[in-house]
Amino acid sequence: MALVGNIRDFGLSDFLYLVDRGYKTGCLHLRRGDEQAILYFEKGKLIYAARREGEQLGDMLIRQGKLTPEQLEQARQVQNGSTNGMTLTQIILSENMMSQEDLQQTLQTHTEESVYGLFGWPDGEFRFEQGQKPDVNEPVMPVPLPVENLIMEGVRRIDEWGRIKDRIPSTDMIVRFLDQPGAKAKGVKLSPEEWRVFARINGKDTLADIAQKTNLSEFDVCRIVYGFVTAGLVDVVKKPRPAPLSSSPRGAQPMEMPRIKKSLVSRIINRIRGM
Amino acid sequence: MQTVKMVISGAVNAGKTEFIRSISEIEVVSTERRASDDTKLIKKETTVAMDFGRIAVADDLVLHLFGTPGQKRFDFMWEILSEGMLGLVVLVDSTRPETFRETNRIIEFFTSYRDTAYVIAANKQDRPNAWSPDELRLALRQPPHIKVLPCVASQRESVKNILLELLYVIMQRSED
Repeated sequence: MALVGNIRDFGLSDFLYLVDRGYKTGCLHLRRGDEQAILYFEKGKLIYAARREGEQLGDMLIRQGKLTPEQLEQARQVQNGSTNGMTLTQIILSENMMSQEDLQQTLQTHTEESVYGLFGWPDGEFRFEQGQKPDVNEPVMPVPLPVENLIMEGVRRIDEWGRIKDRIPSTDMIVRFLDQPGAKAKGVKLSPEEWRVFARINGKDTLADIAQKTNLSEFDVCRIVYGFVTAGLVDVVKKPRPAPLSSSPRGAQPMEMPRIKKSLVSRIINRIRGM
Repeated sequence: MQTVKMVISGAVNAGKTEFIRSISEIEVVSTERRASDDTKLIKKETTVAMDFGRIAVADDLVLHLFGTPGQKRFDFMWEILSEGMLGLVVLVDSTRPETFRETNRIIEFFTSYRDTAYVIAANKQDRPNAWSPDELRLALRQPPHIKVLPCVASQRESVKNILLELLYVIMQRSED
Protein backbone atom coordinates (compact mmCIF):
# COMPACT_ATOMS: atom_id res chain seq x y z
CA MET A 1 0.00 0.00 0.00
CA ALA A 2 1.45 3.36 -1.04
CA LEU A 3 1.89 6.41 1.17
CA VAL A 4 0.62 9.43 -0.70
CA GLY A 5 0.53 13.14 -0.01
CA ASN A 6 1.91 16.52 -0.98
CA ILE A 7 5.26 17.88 0.17
CA ARG A 8 3.56 21.22 0.78
CA ASP A 9 2.00 19.58 3.84
CA PHE A 10 4.56 16.93 4.70
CA GLY A 11 8.00 18.14 3.63
CA LEU A 12 10.69 16.13 1.93
CA SER A 13 12.97 16.39 4.94
CA ASP A 14 10.16 15.02 7.16
CA PHE A 15 9.72 12.14 4.74
CA LEU A 16 13.45 11.37 4.72
CA TYR A 17 13.30 11.29 8.52
CA LEU A 18 10.43 8.79 8.36
CA VAL A 19 12.29 6.60 5.87
CA ASP A 20 15.43 6.66 8.00
CA ARG A 21 13.78 5.94 11.35
CA GLY A 22 11.34 3.48 9.81
CA TYR A 23 14.19 1.59 8.14
CA LYS A 24 12.14 1.66 4.95
CA THR A 25 12.77 0.00 1.59
CA GLY A 26 10.91 1.30 -1.42
CA CYS A 27 10.64 4.03 -3.99
CA LEU A 28 9.53 7.64 -3.48
CA HIS A 29 7.95 9.08 -6.62
CA LEU A 30 7.68 12.86 -6.78
CA ARG A 31 5.85 14.94 -9.34
CA ARG A 32 5.41 18.68 -9.77
CA GLY A 33 3.84 19.75 -13.01
CA ASP A 34 6.10 18.37 -15.73
CA GLU A 35 8.93 17.64 -13.31
CA GLN A 36 9.46 14.18 -11.88
CA ALA A 37 11.88 12.55 -9.52
CA ILE A 38 12.42 9.10 -8.06
CA LEU A 39 14.34 8.12 -4.96
CA TYR A 40 15.07 4.50 -4.07
CA PHE A 41 15.73 3.52 -0.46
CA GLU A 42 16.96 0.32 1.06
CA LYS A 43 16.61 -0.17 4.80
CA GLY A 44 16.40 3.56 5.40
CA LYS A 45 19.35 4.56 3.23
CA LEU A 46 19.31 6.14 -0.22
CA ILE A 47 20.63 3.99 -3.05
CA TYR A 48 19.63 6.01 -6.08
CA ALA A 49 17.91 9.23 -7.10
CA ALA A 50 17.17 10.83 -10.45
CA ARG A 51 15.24 13.86 -11.57
CA ARG A 52 13.63 11.90 -14.39
CA GLU A 53 12.66 8.27 -14.43
CA GLY A 54 14.36 5.71 -16.58
CA GLU A 55 17.75 7.36 -16.86
CA GLN A 56 20.12 4.56 -17.73
CA LEU A 57 23.31 4.11 -15.71
CA GLY A 58 25.43 3.62 -18.78
CA ASP A 59 24.16 6.77 -20.50
CA MET A 60 24.81 8.80 -17.38
CA LEU A 61 28.38 7.45 -17.01
CA ILE A 62 29.10 8.11 -20.70
CA ARG A 63 27.75 11.62 -20.26
CA GLN A 64 30.11 12.09 -17.30
CA GLY A 65 33.06 10.74 -19.31
CA LYS A 66 33.56 7.76 -17.00
CA LEU A 67 32.82 5.05 -19.60
CA THR A 68 33.15 4.85 -23.35
CA PRO A 69 30.24 3.65 -25.50
CA GLU A 70 32.28 0.52 -26.30
CA GLN A 71 32.74 -0.29 -22.61
CA LEU A 72 29.03 0.18 -22.04
CA GLU A 73 28.21 -2.18 -24.90
CA GLN A 74 30.60 -4.77 -23.47
CA ALA A 75 29.02 -4.47 -20.01
CA ARG A 76 25.55 -4.90 -21.45
CA GLN A 77 26.61 -8.03 -23.31
CA VAL A 78 27.96 -9.48 -20.07
CA GLN A 79 24.71 -8.54 -18.32
CA ASN A 80 22.58 -10.19 -21.00
CA GLY A 81 24.63 -13.35 -20.66
CA SER A 82 24.44 -13.32 -16.88
CA THR A 83 22.19 -15.91 -15.26
CA ASN A 84 22.28 -14.58 -11.72
CA GLY A 85 20.69 -11.15 -12.26
CA MET A 86 23.84 -9.07 -11.85
CA THR A 87 23.23 -5.34 -11.93
CA LEU A 88 25.08 -3.09 -14.34
CA THR A 89 26.85 -1.55 -11.31
CA GLN A 90 28.16 -4.97 -10.28
CA ILE A 91 29.33 -5.76 -13.81
CA ILE A 92 31.17 -2.45 -14.21
CA LEU A 93 33.03 -3.18 -10.98
CA SER A 94 33.72 -6.87 -11.71
CA GLU A 95 35.03 -6.06 -15.20
CA ASN A 96 37.26 -3.35 -13.66
CA MET A 97 35.85 -0.65 -15.91
CA MET A 98 35.77 1.71 -12.91
CA SER A 99 37.04 1.51 -9.36
CA GLN A 100 34.45 1.24 -6.59
CA GLU A 101 35.62 4.54 -5.18
CA ASP A 102 35.23 6.34 -8.50
CA LEU A 103 31.85 4.79 -9.21
CA GLN A 104 30.60 5.57 -5.70
CA GLN A 105 31.77 9.18 -5.93
CA THR A 106 30.22 9.67 -9.38
CA LEU A 107 26.89 8.16 -8.41
CA GLN A 108 26.85 9.89 -5.03
CA THR A 109 27.40 13.32 -6.55
CA HIS A 110 24.70 12.67 -9.13
CA THR A 111 22.30 11.37 -6.46
CA GLU A 112 22.95 14.19 -4.00
CA GLU A 113 22.45 16.91 -6.58
CA SER A 114 19.22 15.26 -7.68
CA VAL A 115 17.91 15.32 -4.12
CA TYR A 116 19.12 18.81 -3.17
CA GLY A 117 17.18 20.33 -6.02
CA LEU A 118 13.99 18.79 -4.65
CA PHE A 119 14.24 20.71 -1.39
CA GLY A 120 13.41 23.84 -3.34
CA TRP A 121 10.03 22.49 -4.45
CA PRO A 122 7.31 24.39 -2.56
CA ASP A 123 4.84 21.63 -3.36
CA GLY A 124 4.55 18.38 -5.28
CA GLU A 125 2.67 15.12 -5.10
CA PHE A 126 4.53 12.22 -3.54
CA ARG A 127 3.85 8.50 -3.57
CA PHE A 128 5.98 6.00 -1.67
CA GLU A 129 5.76 2.45 -2.96
CA GLN A 130 6.88 0.16 -0.18
CA GLY A 131 9.21 -2.61 -1.25
CA GLN A 132 9.72 -1.33 -4.79
CA LYS A 133 13.29 -1.97 -5.87
CA PRO A 134 15.22 -0.48 -8.76
CA ASP A 135 15.61 -2.24 -12.06
CA VAL A 136 18.94 -4.01 -12.58
CA ASN A 137 19.83 -1.33 -15.15
CA GLU A 138 19.39 1.55 -12.74
CA PRO A 139 22.53 3.22 -11.33
CA VAL A 140 22.43 2.22 -7.66
CA MET A 141 25.31 3.23 -5.45
CA PRO A 142 27.57 0.42 -4.23
CA VAL A 143 27.44 1.97 -0.74
CA PRO A 144 24.01 3.31 0.29
CA LEU A 145 23.87 6.89 1.52
CA PRO A 146 22.63 7.80 5.02
CA VAL A 147 19.98 10.50 4.83
CA GLU A 148 21.05 12.73 7.73
CA ASN A 149 23.52 14.69 5.65
CA LEU A 150 21.02 15.02 2.84
CA ILE A 151 18.56 16.54 5.28
CA MET A 152 21.15 18.96 6.66
CA GLU A 153 22.27 20.09 3.23
CA GLY A 154 18.71 20.36 2.03
CA VAL A 155 17.86 22.56 4.96
CA ARG A 156 20.90 24.73 4.26
CA ARG A 157 19.34 25.44 0.91
CA ILE A 158 15.96 26.46 2.29
CA ASP A 159 15.43 30.15 2.62
CA GLU A 160 11.78 30.09 3.40
CA TRP A 161 11.23 31.39 6.86
CA GLY A 162 7.69 30.00 6.75
CA ARG A 163 8.83 26.39 6.82
CA ILE A 164 11.20 27.06 9.68
CA LYS A 165 8.56 28.90 11.68
CA ASP A 166 6.27 25.93 11.39
CA ARG A 167 8.59 23.88 13.53
CA ILE A 168 10.20 26.71 15.45
CA PRO A 169 7.46 29.30 16.04
CA SER A 170 9.49 31.47 18.39
CA THR A 171 13.07 32.09 19.44
CA ASP A 172 11.91 31.75 23.02
CA MET A 173 11.98 27.98 22.73
CA ILE A 174 14.56 25.78 24.42
CA VAL A 175 16.75 23.41 22.40
CA ARG A 176 17.62 20.03 23.85
CA PHE A 177 19.28 16.88 22.61
CA LEU A 178 17.18 13.82 21.86
CA ASP A 179 17.93 10.47 23.49
CA GLN A 180 21.20 9.53 21.87
CA PRO A 181 22.31 12.34 19.65
CA GLY A 182 25.92 11.17 19.83
CA ALA A 183 25.20 8.11 17.73
CA LYS A 184 23.33 10.12 15.10
CA ALA A 185 25.77 13.03 15.20
CA LYS A 186 28.63 10.81 14.12
CA GLY A 187 27.19 10.61 10.62
CA VAL A 188 26.48 14.32 10.29
CA LYS A 189 28.95 16.80 8.84
CA LEU A 190 28.52 20.32 10.16
CA SER A 191 29.85 23.63 8.98
CA PRO A 192 31.79 25.81 11.46
CA GLU A 193 28.66 27.92 12.07
CA GLU A 194 26.62 24.83 12.73
CA TRP A 195 29.24 23.55 15.17
CA ARG A 196 29.06 26.80 17.07
CA VAL A 197 25.35 26.34 17.56
CA PHE A 198 25.61 22.60 18.24
CA ALA A 199 28.15 23.22 21.00
CA ARG A 200 25.79 25.67 22.73
CA ILE A 201 22.87 23.27 23.07
CA ASN A 202 22.42 22.49 26.76
CA GLY A 203 18.70 21.93 27.30
CA LYS A 204 18.35 25.28 29.09
CA ASP A 205 19.24 28.01 26.60
CA THR A 206 16.65 29.30 24.17
CA LEU A 207 17.32 30.00 20.53
CA ALA A 208 17.55 33.69 21.39
CA ASP A 209 20.18 32.89 24.05
CA ILE A 210 22.17 30.82 21.56
CA ALA A 211 22.01 33.63 18.98
CA GLN A 212 23.38 36.06 21.53
CA LYS A 213 26.19 33.75 22.64
CA THR A 214 27.26 32.82 19.10
CA ASN A 215 26.85 36.28 17.55
CA LEU A 216 24.73 34.75 14.81
CA SER A 217 21.43 36.19 13.69
CA GLU A 218 18.29 34.66 15.16
CA PHE A 219 17.25 33.61 11.65
CA ASP A 220 20.50 31.72 11.12
CA VAL A 221 20.27 30.00 14.50
CA CYS A 222 16.66 29.00 13.79
CA ARG A 223 17.61 27.71 10.35
CA ILE A 224 20.52 25.69 11.76
CA VAL A 225 18.45 24.28 14.63
CA TYR A 226 15.65 23.48 12.16
CA GLY A 227 18.16 21.31 10.35
CA PHE A 228 19.12 19.56 13.58
CA VAL A 229 15.46 18.99 14.43
CA THR A 230 14.70 17.59 11.01
CA ALA A 231 17.73 15.31 11.15
CA GLY A 232 16.47 13.94 14.46
CA LEU A 233 19.31 15.27 16.59
CA VAL A 234 17.50 17.75 18.82
CA ASP A 235 14.07 18.87 19.87
CA VAL A 236 12.66 22.32 20.65
CA VAL A 237 10.29 22.80 23.55
CA LYS A 238 8.40 25.71 25.02
CA LYS A 239 10.05 27.55 27.83
CA PRO A 240 8.31 26.44 31.03
CA ARG A 241 5.95 29.01 32.48
CA PRO A 242 7.16 30.72 35.63
CA ALA A 243 5.75 28.79 38.57
CA PRO A 244 3.15 30.57 40.71
CA LEU A 245 4.19 31.06 44.35
CA SER A 246 1.76 28.47 45.68
CA SER A 247 2.75 25.77 43.19
CA SER A 248 4.03 22.28 43.95
CA PRO A 249 7.76 21.59 44.36
CA ARG A 250 7.89 20.55 40.68
CA GLY A 251 7.59 24.22 39.91
CA ALA A 252 7.63 24.89 36.18
CA GLN A 253 6.77 21.34 35.07
CA PRO A 254 3.37 20.80 33.48
CA MET A 255 0.62 20.63 36.11
CA GLU A 256 -0.09 17.10 37.21
CA MET A 257 -3.54 15.77 36.61
CA PRO A 258 -5.48 15.25 39.82
CA ARG A 259 -4.78 11.72 41.03
CA ILE A 260 -7.62 9.36 40.30
CA LYS A 261 -8.41 6.18 42.15
CA LYS A 262 -7.63 2.82 40.55
CA SER A 263 -11.01 1.52 41.67
CA LEU A 264 -12.79 4.18 39.64
CA VAL A 265 -10.75 3.46 36.53
CA SER A 266 -11.34 -0.25 37.03
CA ARG A 267 -15.11 0.27 37.07
CA ILE A 268 -14.98 2.18 33.80
CA ILE A 269 -12.77 -0.48 32.21
CA ASN A 270 -15.17 -3.23 33.19
CA ARG A 271 -18.12 -1.28 31.85
CA ILE A 272 -16.53 -0.64 28.48
CA ARG A 273 -15.36 -4.24 28.17
CA GLY A 274 -18.93 -5.33 28.71
CA MET A 275 -20.38 -3.07 26.00
CA MET B 1 -23.80 11.04 40.75
CA GLN B 2 -20.14 11.31 39.80
CA THR B 3 -19.19 12.31 36.27
CA VAL B 4 -15.84 11.81 34.62
CA LYS B 5 -14.75 13.19 31.28
CA MET B 6 -12.66 12.10 28.34
CA VAL B 7 -11.84 14.41 25.49
CA ILE B 8 -11.69 13.29 21.88
CA SER B 9 -9.65 15.69 19.80
CA GLY B 10 -8.11 15.83 16.35
CA ALA B 11 -7.96 17.92 13.22
CA VAL B 12 -11.06 18.66 11.18
CA ASN B 13 -12.53 15.48 9.63
CA ALA B 14 -10.36 13.16 11.69
CA GLY B 15 -13.50 11.24 12.69
CA LYS B 16 -14.35 12.62 16.15
CA THR B 17 -18.11 12.60 15.63
CA GLU B 18 -18.06 9.06 14.25
CA PHE B 19 -15.87 7.91 17.14
CA ILE B 20 -18.23 9.20 19.80
CA ARG B 21 -21.28 8.03 17.88
CA SER B 22 -19.96 4.47 17.76
CA ILE B 23 -19.78 4.15 21.54
CA SER B 24 -22.19 6.65 23.03
CA GLU B 25 -25.35 5.39 24.65
CA ILE B 26 -27.18 8.52 23.67
CA GLU B 27 -27.49 10.06 20.27
CA VAL B 28 -24.49 12.25 19.84
CA VAL B 29 -25.31 15.84 20.61
CA SER B 30 -23.62 18.14 18.22
CA THR B 31 -23.84 21.81 18.95
CA GLU B 32 -23.90 22.59 15.25
CA ARG B 33 -27.35 21.12 14.93
CA ARG B 34 -30.32 23.05 16.23
CA ALA B 35 -33.77 21.76 17.06
CA SER B 36 -36.23 23.23 14.63
CA ASP B 37 -38.42 24.79 17.31
CA ASP B 38 -35.43 26.71 18.65
CA THR B 39 -34.53 28.22 15.35
CA LYS B 40 -36.37 31.46 15.95
CA LEU B 41 -34.76 31.95 19.31
CA ILE B 42 -31.19 31.50 18.15
CA LYS B 43 -29.16 34.56 17.56
CA LYS B 44 -27.11 34.83 14.43
CA GLU B 45 -23.64 34.28 15.80
CA THR B 46 -20.78 31.88 15.23
CA THR B 47 -21.55 28.46 16.67
CA VAL B 48 -19.05 26.00 18.04
CA ALA B 49 -18.98 22.55 16.54
CA MET B 50 -18.66 20.18 19.47
CA ASP B 51 -19.78 16.62 20.00
CA PHE B 52 -20.98 15.14 23.24
CA GLY B 53 -21.62 11.52 24.15
CA ARG B 54 -22.33 9.57 27.32
CA ILE B 55 -21.70 6.15 28.81
CA ALA B 56 -23.43 5.17 32.03
CA VAL B 57 -20.89 3.19 34.02
CA ALA B 58 -23.15 2.57 36.99
CA ASP B 59 -26.05 4.23 38.80
CA ASP B 60 -23.58 6.55 40.50
CA LEU B 61 -20.98 7.05 37.74
CA VAL B 62 -21.19 8.47 34.24
CA LEU B 63 -18.48 8.93 31.62
CA HIS B 64 -18.88 11.91 29.31
CA LEU B 65 -17.12 12.07 25.97
CA PHE B 66 -16.43 15.50 24.54
CA GLY B 67 -15.29 16.00 21.00
CA THR B 68 -13.37 19.22 20.51
CA PRO B 69 -13.86 21.60 17.67
CA GLY B 70 -11.16 20.96 15.10
CA GLN B 71 -11.02 24.43 13.65
CA LYS B 72 -8.20 26.70 14.80
CA ARG B 73 -10.52 29.57 15.64
CA PHE B 74 -12.04 27.54 18.48
CA ASP B 75 -8.76 26.86 20.27
CA PHE B 76 -10.15 28.66 23.31
CA MET B 77 -12.55 25.75 23.85
CA TRP B 78 -9.71 23.30 24.32
CA GLU B 79 -8.61 24.83 27.59
CA ILE B 80 -12.16 24.77 28.90
CA LEU B 81 -12.69 21.16 27.85
CA SER B 82 -9.40 19.99 29.28
CA GLU B 83 -10.35 21.05 32.82
CA GLY B 84 -10.78 17.93 34.91
CA MET B 85 -10.47 15.46 32.06
CA LEU B 86 -9.43 11.87 32.74
CA GLY B 87 -7.56 11.48 29.50
CA LEU B 88 -7.40 12.39 25.84
CA VAL B 89 -7.79 10.53 22.57
CA VAL B 90 -6.13 12.27 19.64
CA LEU B 91 -7.67 11.07 16.41
CA VAL B 92 -5.65 11.31 13.21
CA ASP B 93 -6.93 10.84 9.70
CA SER B 94 -4.32 8.32 8.54
CA THR B 95 -5.01 9.06 4.88
CA ARG B 96 -4.32 12.80 5.04
CA PRO B 97 -0.75 13.73 5.90
CA GLU B 98 -1.69 17.39 5.45
CA THR B 99 -3.40 17.16 8.86
CA PHE B 100 -0.38 15.83 10.76
CA ARG B 101 0.96 19.28 11.54
CA GLU B 102 -2.36 20.35 13.03
CA THR B 103 -2.44 17.12 15.03
CA ASN B 104 0.94 17.92 16.52
CA ARG B 105 -0.33 21.34 17.50
CA ILE B 106 -3.25 19.75 19.32
CA ILE B 107 -0.99 17.32 21.19
CA GLU B 108 1.38 20.13 22.08
CA PHE B 109 -1.46 22.23 23.43
CA PHE B 110 -3.00 19.57 25.64
CA THR B 111 0.30 18.35 27.05
CA SER B 112 1.96 21.72 27.62
CA TYR B 113 -0.27 22.78 30.50
CA ARG B 114 -0.96 19.45 32.14
CA ASP B 115 0.65 16.05 32.32
CA THR B 116 -2.12 14.54 30.21
CA ALA B 117 -2.70 10.84 29.71
CA TYR B 118 -3.29 10.38 26.01
CA VAL B 119 -3.28 7.90 23.17
CA ILE B 120 -3.20 8.53 19.44
CA ALA B 121 -5.79 6.77 17.30
CA ALA B 122 -4.71 6.28 13.71
CA ASN B 123 -8.19 6.44 12.20
CA LYS B 124 -9.45 5.28 8.81
CA GLN B 125 -7.13 2.29 8.78
CA ASP B 126 -9.65 0.56 6.52
CA ARG B 127 -9.01 3.04 3.73
CA PRO B 128 -6.44 2.62 0.94
CA ASN B 129 -3.28 4.69 1.38
CA ALA B 130 -3.74 4.86 5.14
CA TRP B 131 -0.44 5.43 6.91
CA SER B 132 0.19 2.65 9.42
CA PRO B 133 0.41 3.44 13.16
CA ASP B 134 4.19 2.92 13.04
CA GLU B 135 4.50 5.38 10.17
CA LEU B 136 2.28 7.85 11.99
CA ARG B 137 4.42 7.56 15.10
CA LEU B 138 7.43 8.65 13.07
CA ALA B 139 5.55 11.33 11.17
CA LEU B 140 4.22 12.80 14.43
CA ARG B 141 7.57 12.25 16.14
CA GLN B 142 5.99 10.58 19.12
CA PRO B 143 8.19 8.85 21.70
CA PRO B 144 8.02 5.05 22.02
CA HIS B 145 5.98 5.07 25.24
CA ILE B 146 3.03 6.88 23.63
CA LYS B 147 0.48 4.44 22.24
CA VAL B 148 -0.34 4.92 18.55
CA LEU B 149 -3.23 2.58 17.81
CA PRO B 150 -5.07 1.44 14.69
CA CYS B 151 -8.66 2.65 14.58
CA VAL B 152 -11.76 2.53 12.44
CA ALA B 153 -14.07 5.00 14.15
CA SER B 154 -17.22 3.57 12.59
CA GLN B 155 -16.58 0.22 14.27
CA ARG B 156 -17.65 -0.06 17.89
CA GLU B 157 -15.10 -2.69 18.82
CA SER B 158 -12.30 -0.57 17.45
CA VAL B 159 -13.48 2.44 19.44
CA LYS B 160 -13.82 0.30 22.58
CA ASN B 161 -10.23 -0.83 22.14
CA ILE B 162 -8.98 2.77 21.93
CA LEU B 163 -10.85 3.78 25.09
CA LEU B 164 -9.61 0.72 26.93
CA GLU B 165 -6.01 1.42 25.95
CA LEU B 166 -6.38 4.98 27.23
CA LEU B 167 -7.87 3.67 30.46
CA TYR B 168 -4.89 1.34 30.91
CA VAL B 169 -2.59 4.36 30.60
CA ILE B 170 -4.71 6.22 33.15
CA MET B 171 -4.70 3.18 35.44
CA GLN B 172 -0.88 3.23 35.53
CA ARG B 173 -0.96 6.79 36.80
CA SER B 174 -3.79 6.32 39.29
CA GLU B 175 -3.46 5.68 43.00
CA ASP B 176 -4.80 2.88 45.17
